[in-house]
Order: sequence, then C-alpha cells, then structure tokens
Amino acid sequence: MEEITDINRELMLDANATAGLLYEIFGVEMTASPTECANCGNEGELGGLLAFTQGPGIVLRCSACEGVVLRIVQTPEAIYLDARGAVYLRLAR
Amino acid sequence: MKQTLNWQIASVTNIRPETAKVKSFTLRLPAWMRHRAGQHYDLRLTAEDGYQAQRSYSIASEPEREGEVDITVERIDDGEVSTYMHDVLLPGDRIEMRGPIGGYFVWEATMTEPLLLIAGGSGVVPLMSMVRHRAAAGAKNPAALLYSARTFEDIIYYGEWEGLRNSNSGLQIFHTLTRSQPVGWKGYARRIDQAMLKEVAGPLGGSVQAYICAPTLLVEAAANALVKIGVRSDQIRTERFGPTGG
Repeated sequence: MEEITDINRELMLDANATAGLLYEIFGVEMTASPTECANCGNEGELGGLLAFTQGPGIVLRCSACEGVVLRIVQTPEAIYLDARGAVYLRLAR
Repeated sequence: MKQTLNWQIASVTNIRPETAKVKSFTLRLPAWMRHRAGQHYDLRLTAEDGYQAQRSYSIASEPEREGEVDITVERIDDGEVSTYMHDVLLPGDRIEMRGPIGGYFVWEATMTEPLLLIAGGSGVVPLMSMVRHRAAAGAKNPAALLYSARTFEDIIYYGEWEGLRNSNSGLQIFHTLTRSQPVGWKGYARRIDQAMLKEVAGPLGGSVQAYICAPTLLVEAAANALVKIGVRSDQIRTERFGPTGG
C-alpha cells in the first residue's frame, strides 16, 4: 500500500458520511442524487464526493478533479452553504 | 423517497460483545422505518450543560427485522461517543437517534449483479447488513466477501461468517489477517492487494458491483487495485472512515 502522509487525506471520508447534515439542510435524502462538478464537469452521486469534515467547516470535493463542490459551515444561529462548485444539485420531489 | 428525519428516543434492549473492542447494541425505535442495507443512523449524546456529541453508526442488522436495529460499535480509546456506548450504556437506557440515513452506499436484494464486499476492520458492519439482507431475501446472486482484520481476535462476527460459509448461500468468504495469524491459519496473511483481489473477484466476472468499507487508506488501495484488474469506477462504491472520531 502506498503510504500517504497528508493528514487531510488520511481523515478524508465520503460525502455519504454527511448524509444526515445534507438531509437537515435540504429536507430530502441527497446522497443518491446526481450533481455536476463546475470545475471539471464530472457527474456523479453526491454521496461519492470526497468529504473533509475535521475542519471548522465541511468541504466536499469532486472525486475526479478534487475541486471544491460544496462548503458547509454551521454556527449556532445558521448554516452557511457555498455551492458554487456545483453546476447543479438535484432535490428529489 | 420522502420521509421526515427527526430525532427519536431509542431504547437499548441488548448489548453483546463481538470482540474485545467491539460491541453490538440492539436499539428499539418507536418510529422505526425499514432501512436499506448499508445505511446508518446518527446518534447524539447531550451533556447536562448542553454540550452535544454526534456520530454516525452503520446498521448491522437486516431490514427485514421490524421495530429495531443492531449497530456494532468499535471502542475508540479517546472517543467521546464510543466510550460512552461501551462503558456506560446499559440495557434499558435510552439514546437519541435519527435515521435511517444515506442513499449512496446501499445494496438491495433486487440488484442481481454479482456482489463483491471488501471490508477493513469495523468497516465490515454495513456489509454484514447487506449479507444478512441477502440471506433474509433468499438472493442467489454470486457474492464474495473479503475481510481484512489485524488479528484473529479482531474478526467481528466470526461465528456468523463460519455459519454462512457452511450454509450453501452462494457467498464466498475470505479473511486476511495483516498483523498476526494463529497456528494453522488457512486464510490470507497480508494487506489487501491486486493479486488477492484478482483471486477473490475474478470468479464473479465483469459485471460485479463492489462495496468497500474500511479506513481511508485501505479504501484507496482496494479501489485502485480493483480498477487495475478491470472493474470500472462506477461499479465501485466506497465508504471511508477516518482514524479519529469515535
């Protein structure tokens, strides 16, 4: 196995791990919904994004180009969502 | 699928050890909903001063069991939640949960492609839910499980794997022990690699659907090796868990 020393890499999860928070924000299950990376155009299920959850906010990156797709910051009063890295998000009816 | 995701108060009805560091908890849910194998619940603890700690735990039981779920939790020595679960929680206690959650890392018995399950450590838990679901649903698709643990004593659900091995269920079970092996060990004795995956996955053919749940580095290694032996990345679903948290 290749040794990876980057701590962020070692702590990396899948966006599936943030399914509860995404549900809280959007009100529907999101991880099986498709999304498109605004950086490289890769399309895939949201749950397959790479998730970095150990910082003050949560960062979801494209699994193909590792561009930032979503950033989520929670404060006691509000949730901030930066989705400019996604061409679209799909919310199932 | 529309559903509401509210916190509910679950009751602990049973606690049993799986290994020295791993326990399974049976939780009775007043607003139980049928889950899909591979999904998880969020658990939340609240201290008297209002401080909250929240973790996600994979469901181990099959969706066919109504009214309750099993989760299997590894005790992380400096963890906030897993230490409470292991050291404090007793049958009859109550705990806040919400779920079932997640639509990405799921397998349904209606999916008829050959199934390849790859687990590292406690990553075996959601895969056990898939295996139990497969058995309960009577699915006959070819299936293989490759389970990497450090030592023989770290193998979770060992007795159940042996039962499944002898049950003619069409599930092939492979163990690898990476740190030490008991005398006479017949399984693999190294980290998961390309040659091992070729032996395990080869007989399943090209249309295999693969699920990998393990620590991040093992997921990366196994997924890359699968791609090298010809499995397309869209046939591979991964669930990584980090070395911290608990």
